Amino acid sequence: MQISTKEVISLIGLTSVIFLIAPLFLILYVLSYNRRKKKHKEDTVTMQKNFETELLRTQMEVQEQTLKTVAYDLHDNIGQLLSLTTITLSSVNISDTEGTAEKLALVEDLTMRSIKEVKALSRLLHGEEIVSRGLAAAIDFELQWLRRSDRFKITYNHDQEVLNLDNIKETILFRLFQEIINNIIQHAKATEINIDLKQTDGSCILQITDNGTGFNVDEALSRKSGMGLHNIVKRSAMIQGTADINSTPAKGSTITIKIPQHN
Amino acid sequence: MFIPFLLLTCVTELTGIYLREFLHIRNYPIYNVYLLFECGFTSYFFYYLYQPYNYPVKWLYTWYAIFMVIYLSELFRLNFLNFPSATASIMSVVFVFACLYFYYLKLKDEHFEPLLYSASFWWVNGALFFYFGSTACNNFMDYLASHESIIYNKSIRYVIYNILDILMYACWSYAFICRYRQRKLSPL
Repeated sequence: MQISTKEVISLIGLTSVIFLIAPLFLILYVLSYNRRKKKHKEDTVTMQKNFETELLRTQMEVQEQTLKTVAYDLHDNIGQLLSLTTITLSSVNISDTEGTAEKLALVEDLTMRSIKEVKALSRLLHGEEIVSRGLAAAIDFELQWLRRSDRFKITYNHDQEVLNLDNIKETILFRLFQEIINNIIQHAKATEINIDLKQTDGSCILQITDNGTGFNVDEALSRKSGMGLHNIVKRSAMIQGTADINSTPAKGSTITIKIPQHN
Repeated sequence: MFIPFLLLTCVTELTGIYLREFLHIRNYPIYNVYLLFECGFTSYFFYYLYQPYNYPVKWLYTWYAIFMVIYLSELFRLNFLNFPSATASIMSVVFVFACLYFYYLKLKDEHFEPLLYSASFWWVNGALFFYFGSTACNNFMDYLASHESIIYNKSIRYVIYNILDILMYACWSYAFICRYRQRKLSPL
């Protein structure tokens, strides 16, 4: 079969047209990929901003928690000590020298205890400083206040070696600890709390167990408000970690947070 | 450097038309010389576009050397009596690959650049339209030269090259506008 010259020339023309359409589609593909790249970049910036906002919120919550503790302590401890001091001073009878000396000694003791409480509060007020001492020390410090209430039998075990977490992760993990403890105080009706902080396979693990009333995990997670379990899961994920929540009604709960030490 | 090249292109085209239409002599020698400048400039411009990605200069020199060998051997084969169309075809294919490599670099680059307003992107688009679109014409250059005038009154090569030229210069004009706007908006 012989192809005519006209057909060959038409074929060359057609090939040229196809060779023009191909670059057009290629350019469109590059432009569309580039648009997707832009969207991806914008998403990354938004995620970064959300992370920073969440971090700021966490830092504020740590401070808020500290202020709450200060307020309770001022009311329950220092307030009581000062009231007792006032009552003792007002009952002083100058003519009764022996009684006065005894009462003044009591006032001195009460004042000394007040000074000690104020000093402890002043240390607590440096919220940022708490975390900068290291997570293990910060948790220990927080537990000291809880122990004073004598409501709970608290066991705290932690690795002696230094936990290598950056400041952001430590702050968030510390806030998670505070939130879980708050939940136990408010909802669990527990008598025992066990806290384990350890380092395993490049991860930092914080496990908090209580013997309280327990709850239905799925139901609690499906509720947006309430115990803030959502927050615990979300904030753990924010620092590439996981939060494992186990609870059996009437038998207590265990929350395990696992955070990788390096990204 | 770009403006002198465009001026040279203009002069070459005008001289080519003058030789063919008014003096009625073949104009291939002038295009043979122009091919050297076209390859030299376009290759260098691609190298300039690749520079932010640390492209080694040795590849540019290697390509120049290969081109010269192909160009001279074809000219010797033709006894300097015709246009080295095989060399032009090879050059077109190499430039098409250069365009594709540029797109590859842009897609791989993590840094986002609005390509719709990027002068370099539109310069490459123009080059891709021209060199990819002219592949069929280049490959059948000799066939078309000897047959098309018998069948059609007008040369199909000229029609295709005119379309390609319009596309390429439209893209390049837009690239100039992008560059102008970029310079105007730039604080430096």
